[in-house]
Amino acid sequence: MSQPILSLRNLVKTYPNGVQALKGVSFDVKKGEFLVIIGLSGSGKSTLLRCVNRLHDPTSGEILFEGKDIAKVQGEEVRSLRKHIGMIFQHFNLIPRHSVLSNVLMGRLGFMSSLKSIFGLFSDEDKAKALEYLRLVGIAEKAKIRADQLSGGQQQRVAIARALTQGPSILLADEPVASLDPATCHTVMDYLKKVNQELGITVICNLHFLSLVRQYATRVIALKGGEIVYEGSPNDITEAWFEKIYGQGAKEVHIN
Amino acid sequence: MKNYIFRRTFFDSFVFAYLAMILLVVAGRPTPEQMLNLGQNFLIFVIAMVIGAALSAGLNNSKNPAIHTLGEALFEPAYKKAAKAELPWYKTFSAWQLITFLVVTFVVGLNITKFSLTELLDEDGFAGAVRLFHGLFSPNFEILPKAVLNIIETIFMAFMATTLAIPVAFVLSFFCAKNIMKGPVASTVYMLLRTLLNFTRAIEALIWAIIFSVWVGIGPFSGMLALMIHSIASLAKQYSEMVETVSEGPIEGIQSTGATKLQTVWFAIVPQVILPYISFTVYRWDINVRMATIIGLVGGGGIGTMLIQYQGQAMWPEVGCIILVIAIVVWGMDQASAVIRDALK
Repeated sequence: MSQPILSLRNLVKTYPNGVQALKGVSFDVKKGEFLVIIGLSGSGKSTLLRCVNRLHDPTSGEILFEGKDIAKVQGEEVRSLRKHIGMIFQHFNLIPRHSVLSNVLMGRLGFMSSLKSIFGLFSDEDKAKALEYLRLVGIAEKAKIRADQLSGGQQQRVAIARALTQGPSILLADEPVASLDPATCHTVMDYLKKVNQELGITVICNLHFLSLVRQYATRVIALKGGEIVYEGSPNDITEAWFEKIYGQGAKEVHIN
Repeated sequence: MKNYIFRRTFFDSFVFAYLAMILLVVAGRPTPEQMLNLGQNFLIFVIAMVIGAALSAGLNNSKNPAIHTLGEALFEPAYKKAAKAELPWYKTFSAWQLITFLVVTFVVGLNITKFSLTELLDEDGFAGAVRLFHGLFSPNFEILPKAVLNIIETIFMAFMATTLAIPVAFVLSFFCAKNIMKGPVASTVYMLLRTLLNFTRAIEALIWAIIFSVWVGIGPFSGMLALMIHSIASLAKQYSEMVETVSEGPIEGIQSTGATKLQTVWFAIVPQVILPYISFTVYRWDINVRMATIIGLVGGGGIGTMLIQYQGQAMWPEVGCIILVIAIVVWGMDQASAVIRDALK
């Protein structure tokens, strides 16, 4: 079997205020997986993803990305790591005053000199790539519109296109549908599935809703208080497991 | 918590020492030599503060809220305030402490400013003022062409000062923003720059004008330099406050693509701050036109220098004409900048 694309070994993250967000988390992610991480707010899901692309610095432990430990790399190495890891966020994190196309082109920032990018000198190749990914998420016709004039679901699709323009081998999605309505929720998740299946990009996605987990995940990890409490197939999550993850009295909510 | 005790004690002891010093001056009738003995007087003040601190501690440690001090009333945490019984104000020590402080300060103020109704209503003095106003209200328009040329010089001084300050303040603003300057080296640079800018701003543009008029000679150049220095410090502070309020989301979004620090600032922060920046800059130009007039008084060139020349010779009709020109231009700038800033919202 090929080696995992990402392995966490005993990852610990303690914030300066003393909060232990991750208490020694270890797991492997195989190439092409759609891994979903579930857990309550504060369980450490977001911290985990942010440690992987080093938006946060882990306190200890190893993060092996394509075989190389990147838990402690600094400066230029962090940037070249981030180039290969796309990320989308709960609040989309687009630049509101810029056009959709310009936002997607931001995915190329890591590949060009600062000076060139400041003058907006993106190559024709980059522009073609950006448009191609906008077509993939179905909003190429909005390319010229300002990002803040799109609906939430459309903004999240722009964010997916921005991440894809990086040409990443992994896509991290931090609660990508938590601020969307149920219908839009499925559209965005469907595009993530498409990215995973058609482009073969490994996806690690934080989610709240168990019904979405069953529909999209190939594997599930549940975090509680910074520790893994469940790891396995989405179909094996029983009512009992659900209660263990979300606490007594939790009811499964279906989104249709 | 400790912080609150310190503030309470310092406030109370300062008020006490201040009242004690006034009592000493009124009752002790010190000689002018004694009044000028700064070292000795400072020592007395410090001793009074120590006594005040002891009094503050004594009164506030009492269980009776009626005798708690003004410092306590001002700085006590909300939970302590909530635990206390409501008292009518005239039954509290702190209210009488405040009243004493205000009344004494007002009386001392009357004395120090030599407030005098007889001077104000003195017939000779009043006649002089009437002559002056008569001159001002019958402006001599013969000097109008010269006044117009001079105010154009003033407007350009303000324009150049603002324009040259923009790029410097723009760059400085990012180094003066706490949310960008993280890490040990960066936060040291942040602290140093902040202190330097605060210090620069604390020195009035008028003082800078005096410094530069010695350095580069009297004239519009020294006035412009003075305004520029002041504008850099003020704009950098206002700009950096805008940078500190930007939302984190776009910053994370850009960082996650592998962007450099410079790219992150340019693509995630600049779009969020550019409109307020322009608005502040227009307002600064407006302020600079007004300040350029004042700076002219100490040799900074422009309309201010012309004004001080005619004023020195008591040529009131000419002064009247100059003041009229200044008023019209300042009013116009004020209106224009308000309209532009409104449009930028």
